[in-house]
Amino acid sequence: MGEQATTQNLSATPQTRDRTSSSNALVSLIEGRAWAYLLLIPSLILVAAVVVYPVLDGIWLSFHEYRLNRPALGQPWIGLEHYREMSSDPVVRRALKNTVIWVTVGSISQFILGMITALALHRSLRGFRLASVLVLIPWLLPSVVSANMWRLMLDSRLGVVNEILGRLGLIGSGHAWFTDPSTALYEVLAVELWKNFAFFTLFFLAGLYAIPSEYYEASSVDGSGAWQRFRDITIPMLMPVIVGAMILRVIGLFNSPDILLILTGGGPGHATETLSLYGFQTAYLRFDFGYAAALSVLAMFCLMAFTVVYVRVSGVTKE
Amino acid sequence: MASSMATPADSSTTVVYEQAVARSPFGSLRRTRRFYDLVASVVVALVVIYAMAPIVWTVLTSFKTEKQIVTANFTWVPTSVTFDNYVTLWRRSGYPHLLMNSAIVTAMTVAMSLVIGTIAAYSISRYRFYGRNGLMIFYLVIRMFPFTLLLIPLFIMLRNLGLFDTHFGLALTYTTFLLPLCVWMLKGFFDGIPPDLEEASRVDGSTRLGALVRIVLPLARQGIAATTVFIAIGAWNEYVWALLLTTANGARTWPVGLQLMVGEFQMPWGVLSASGIISIIPIIIGFAIVQRALVSGLMAGGVKG
Repeated sequence: MGEQATTQNLSATPQTRDRTSSSNALVSLIEGRAWAYLLLIPSLILVAAVVVYPVLDGIWLSFHEYRLNRPALGQPWIGLEHYREMSSDPVVRRALKNTVIWVTVGSISQFILGMITALALHRSLRGFRLASVLVLIPWLLPSVVSANMWRLMLDSRLGVVNEILGRLGLIGSGHAWFTDPSTALYEVLAVELWKNFAFFTLFFLAGLYAIPSEYYEASSVDGSGAWQRFRDITIPMLMPVIVGAMILRVIGLFNSPDILLILTGGGPGHATETLSLYGFQTAYLRFDFGYAAALSVLAMFCLMAFTVVYVRVSGVTKE
Repeated sequence: MASSMATPADSSTTVVYEQAVARSPFGSLRRTRRFYDLVASVVVALVVIYAMAPIVWTVLTSFKTEKQIVTANFTWVPTSVTFDNYVTLWRRSGYPHLLMNSAIVTAMTVAMSLVIGTIAAYSISRYRFYGRNGLMIFYLVIRMFPFTLLLIPLFIMLRNLGLFDTHFGLALTYTTFLLPLCVWMLKGFFDGIPPDLEEASRVDGSTRLGALVRIVLPLARQGIAATTVFIAIGAWNEYVWALLLTTANGARTWPVGLQLMVGEFQMPWGVLSASGIISIIPIIIGFAIVQRALVSGLMAGGVKG
């Protein structure tokens, strides 16, 4: 019952009962099908308009020259020209490398802090209910506000962080954050950690509550220690949640450059450029929609490749 | 002890997140348990401070005068509280207009996602039909499309339709990522309502849609409220799409306006902090109201599949 019970409790979605047992099963089935599709039509039309069509159009666009600021150019077909350009674009190489760091370091650091927080909150002491709500707040805040809160705290002259670190003698006065190419990406990752670690806490805490306490009791009787219980019970029981939460977070990190856009805009140089940020800026700042579309297609393939490998390795295809 | 196991069937709004509050800790020895409780308390206290410190600091800054912010002697807590920043923000910056734009776009996004999402989620929850699982997986896969791949064609589409820089146009593009989420969450909530109740109502001569409106929706109201708040937060917070799809003359929303206020030099930190605080108040209130149902709904929407 182990794993089944977990997913069942987590989702709190008991399957609807089989309705075909009624006497006129065939009638209700036919009537049901028609209704089922009818009710889906509005959502399908909307998804076709705002998801399917744009994706196809975006792929189509990646084979064309399309510059918004030069309408006289038209939209000539240029085949794989953009892709050829991409393969020799040093910024793309830099962005790919940064994306790997951004996603790997980001997801692992958020996973660790999220897990530690969930394990602590799971002890359900007094005040922990309020605490579990408070730690979620950064995750719900708009990135514009989050990023600027940190920019205020990290300001080289007025920032409270510099004030504290300066007094402790850890940094010199006027230390400017996000300006050193070798550390800027990690500094933004620290902000990203604050913003999103609670995403993991949310899922893991729910997962922890779904583990029957008998498992731990039995294990305690056997005399196993805390680490052993964590390794032998907690981790295996949480696995479905871990796998699911991890992929959502990786997609989130890969796909949302808001914090980077606000804090560094990809700079200094291209030190904090990631693939999605570069794609957006190519469209937003250079109006080169064709090249931006090609970059997006590359991003799509990266994400798909990751997902396929991840699903294979983690073996979650059972569900 | 057995009773402490989560009971899956009673209601979808069961608060899984905090279910075992009443459960006693599982430590084998009283002393080690106390030790772990102490460790947990310290960890939780530190994490709460970490999570809340920037927010508290921003609140404090919003009540400081410019002199207190830009000063050689560091001011921790404002010695005198001033509301000047809020007044300046309201009078001078056109911020109320930006907030209004955001409110309109958010309302439109919620309305579209909720109406269309409700009937779709109901269909998926109640019927077994060909392509059902595929459809749900597709709604998940949508998240995997890079946003720029969608954003650029949507920009062109909105311009061709004359919807560029309009509230409706922006709201329409927000359904791209919010409708799938809405369907997933609502399906989870509908699954938690026993179909027997509708059957009884249909025996009494009610139609399918009648049963949905009269029976299911009232029972799922907490879940629907949670979904509404989550979608509203998503639309209210959104920055990057609005940056490309709106201008100062039209439907520009507050996140874009706030970011543009951030000048290169001489940041008006007091006013910026005030605008940040004003914009996140609706989020905090909404979250506080639906917090329990929201958390369980996210679990249903996110983890499965």
